[in-house]
Amino acid sequence: MGYRKVCRFCEKSVARIDYKDAGVLERYLTDRGKILPRRATGNCARHQRQLGTAIKRARYLALVPYIQGYYG
Amino acid sequence: MRDYEVVYIFKSALGTEDIDARLQRYHEKILAAEGSEITAVEHWGKRQLAYPIDRNENGYYVVAQFSTEPGALPEFERLLKLDDELLRHLVVLSEGELAVPISLGDDDEDDDRRRGKRGDDNDDEAKVAAVDDTDADEADEADDEADEADDEADEADEADDEVEEEEEDDTGAESDEGTDEEDKD
Repeated sequence: MGYRKVCRFCEKSVARIDYKDAGVLERYLTDRGKILPRRATGNCARHQRQLGTAIKRARYLALVPYIQGYYG
Repeated sequence: MRDYEVVYIFKSALGTEDIDARLQRYHEKILAAEGSEITAVEHWGKRQLAYPIDRNENGYYVVAQFSTEPGALPEFERLLKLDDELLRHLVVLSEGELAVPISLGDDDEDDDRRRGKRGDDNDDEAKVAAVDDTDADEADEADDEADEADDEADEADEADDEVEEEEEDDTGAESDEGTDEEDKD
């Protein structure tokens, strides 16, 4: 089975998820721009928390969208 | 003394000189406080905004790192707020990140970056596939009941997914995503 128990960021020993790195953050967004839940990402608690903060900062800076694919 | 990082987004219509002049003005404000120093200034250049800000589709990004006393910040931020040509700014405690993230390497042209990203895409998809693997594993996590129902559905699909994943096939990864989407609905 394709088991993956270890957090992706822990594997790479990421001390701090960079809010400026839109390329990484986009991977953790749904096609609507929502943050993927931990059950989908497999992240550990610490990194999931950091990820949330990073994505929210990146949204403010228009690096990633608040919402996507919605045309009123 | 603390390390900070500030991201500026200027209107992209501004010339380089205007931007430099503004940065100069802002940073003088920081340097006015004793012992402060600017440790890095990095111009990302013009970049497309993820959503329009005041009808601007593009912005000129500059990232600067500096260290100063916390007391110097309110005045600094007040100066930033007064500038109409500055679309956004964000001051955060610097955690020692790089001023330019690795994945944004060359950002002169929007197209360049897009192409660069395309190059990584295979990698991304492999990761998405791997992320999908975890769905069933995480069933033991404290999910609410509705989610558990979802997970069970996922587990049912897993037998199918497994075959495709073992082939480590990009198209397989994509179809995995597709099935997951349907499950959620």
